[in-house]
Amino acid sequence: MTNSSSTRVQEFIGDPLSEEPIVDRGKLEAVFNDIQADMRYDHELNGCLNCGICTATCPAAHYYDFSPREIVQLLWTENLEGIHDAMQEKIWSCAQCYTCAARCPFGNSPGGLVMIMRETAIKHGMESAKSVLRPFSRVMLKLISTGNQLAPDMITADHFPDWGPNISKVDAPLDLLRKAIPMPTLNTTKTAWEVNLKTSVELFTIWEETGVLDQLETIDENLFDVIEDFMEEKREDLEDWEEEQDDDDDE
Amino acid sequence: MTTIDKNGGPSLTGHGDEWRDAKLSAHDARTATNWVEQKIDRRSMLTGKNRVSDDRDLMWQLEKEGEIVVHRVNDGNKVSMAKTLYGWDKKIPTDRLWHHKSCGQCGNIPGYPTSLLWMMNKLDVEYLDETDQTSCTAWNYHGSGIGNIESLAAVFLRNFHQAYVSGRAQGLPDGYFFPLVHCGTSFGNYKEVRGYLLHSAELRERVKKILGKLGRLVDGKLLIPEEIVHYSEWVHVMRGEIANHQVYDCSHIRSTIHPACHVYKMVPQDVIYDDDVLDGNRVAVSTGIMESMGTQVIDYSTWYDCCGFGFRHIISEREFTRSFAIDRKLRVAVDEAKSDVMIGHDTGCVTTLDKSQWIAQAMGEKIELPVMADIQFAALACGAHPYKIVQLHWHASAVEKLLEKMGIDQAASMAEFEAYLEQVKIGKQENLYDPRKMITSGPGFEKIEQKL
Repeated sequence: MTNSSSTRVQEFIGDPLSEEPIVDRGKLEAVFNDIQADMRYDHELNGCLNCGICTATCPAAHYYDFSPREIVQLLWTENLEGIHDAMQEKIWSCAQCYTCAARCPFGNSPGGLVMIMRETAIKHGMESAKSVLRPFSRVMLKLISTGNQLAPDMITADHFPDWGPNISKVDAPLDLLRKAIPMPTLNTTKTAWEVNLKTSVELFTIWEETGVLDQLETIDENLFDVIEDFMEEKREDLEDWEEEQDDDDDE
Repeated sequence: MTTIDKNGGPSLTGHGDEWRDAKLSAHDARTATNWVEQKIDRRSMLTGKNRVSDDRDLMWQLEKEGEIVVHRVNDGNKVSMAKTLYGWDKKIPTDRLWHHKSCGQCGNIPGYPTSLLWMMNKLDVEYLDETDQTSCTAWNYHGSGIGNIESLAAVFLRNFHQAYVSGRAQGLPDGYFFPLVHCGTSFGNYKEVRGYLLHSAELRERVKKILGKLGRLVDGKLLIPEEIVHYSEWVHVMRGEIANHQVYDCSHIRSTIHPACHVYKMVPQDVIYDDDVLDGNRVAVSTGIMESMGTQVIDYSTWYDCCGFGFRHIISEREFTRSFAIDRKLRVAVDEAKSDVMIGHDTGCVTTLDKSQWIAQAMGEKIELPVMADIQFAALACGAHPYKIVQLHWHASAVEKLLEKMGIDQAASMAEFEAYLEQVKIGKQENLYDPRKMITSGPGFEKIEQKL
């Protein structure tokens, strides 16, 4: 039931008239087990009386087919099909404001649960995660290779046409305007501040050791390859510099 | 999930299939809404919870057991005490500060950190702004899901360890500088991560291996900061001293505050509340400084709402971001509060609210509400140059209107800045501190000895 005329529910859950589920029970359990195994799960989910205060206050619920109450209920009742379905689209609507968590009388954090579900969607290489994260590749490339998530050269009128013509109210080259900022660390255009070479290599080590690069490879293999090459060069640059220091010390 | 609306077509409610309309009369609906509004943005909304504990108790216990080392706020940091949501004490360091910069502020709203450093110079506060710092990585995490609790914890511990040892480059002892976090998301994320680190021996063990590999342990142990402090908390406790430097009267300025979700909704028990600020019902930061500067802080009905930034949405779901910003914040602040300026204390909010106004013209609507951070407004009121220091040319909103209302000659200030750019072209730029201090190790490092 994956032809183009199928509904979203049929595509991801299955045809209710068919006895053959589209998503294998073992896969549904594997996904849920990964969600439940996260150390934060029991902290973020304590119970639910369906009061709906989370949804009443949720900004995403104003505009999307999304309800934090529904997310909590699906997890609380261990509705594996519903959880899998919500991971195809709904969980990406959440604006991560945590108003739901601040207001929940039970101390649940629907926003925190959404994060665990997003991580799991990535781990399982779900198509939803791949398509949703495609526009994020520039941010990820910048972050993983430099240690900064955002840079002045990413904020241009071309990238943000709906911000209007006043992205800068002074008609001067970006590098000149950046030099005119009286914090020397900020006289940069390719990173938000100048990041020490050693610092970005340390951050890359953290990515390697914590499995973040594996996540990235699952979602976007090309981006992963680019970053690997880039960081290899940085590591070599740092090693060369350290060797030079050792040579200087020996002399 | 879809329901059928009154026209017989499907409507998206977000409530799920089993949701049923209560069919209240207009009067009853208003009564119910009134009840909610009386409760909803009151302090009791956040305090009516069970199972709330102070993670710092666990922190001291773990240090006693030899499991961790605590980076203390020490006498040299000139502590100012503040009260948090439950009336607990929080130590706010006011001197010898290590700036944990924000990627969004530095990349997009550079006048935010420069105003803060300018104010610290004015108040003779010692600080370090250096290159050995990464982003907290939490914007990317909340937007994309790339990252995990282990990576967030390792980044937190790496950056805070660097703050602890950063004085070495100037011959100063470890722990000399205490980290001051500029970004609200970094602040919320670091507080949350510190809690998980304190509660989970398994997480500590996993990240300890990584921090060891990086050479970022203290006596073989993880270093945990006694307090995680947001810059707005520094501004709050220093508001009296800041007001002593005020040069422009602001008593005719109507201001609205947009409090940042990740500042006060994440780990809310660690946020400053002050009985003298809005009767202690709302987070005190930003409102406190705006009152100290003499502005009229105007309440409005959507105070509690987020800005619409959404982390992922600002990049790839901008219809949501700009609609929410306009419908729930900007239009309300203009129409209901007649606001002259909207004040934020976080990166994404100031960006979203400042940049989402122009597009309203597509619907035939003109919204002109100046948006900036609390410290930018305070710096302006204390005489900082609107463009050389407060860098207002990066703001898309109508900040010129506010300058004129404050009595600052906007056109003359802009002309001065354009003349200054000619000086910058020939290498005559002015800095807030000695640039040699910004590299503390690695390529380009030059040791500067400082006597205590």
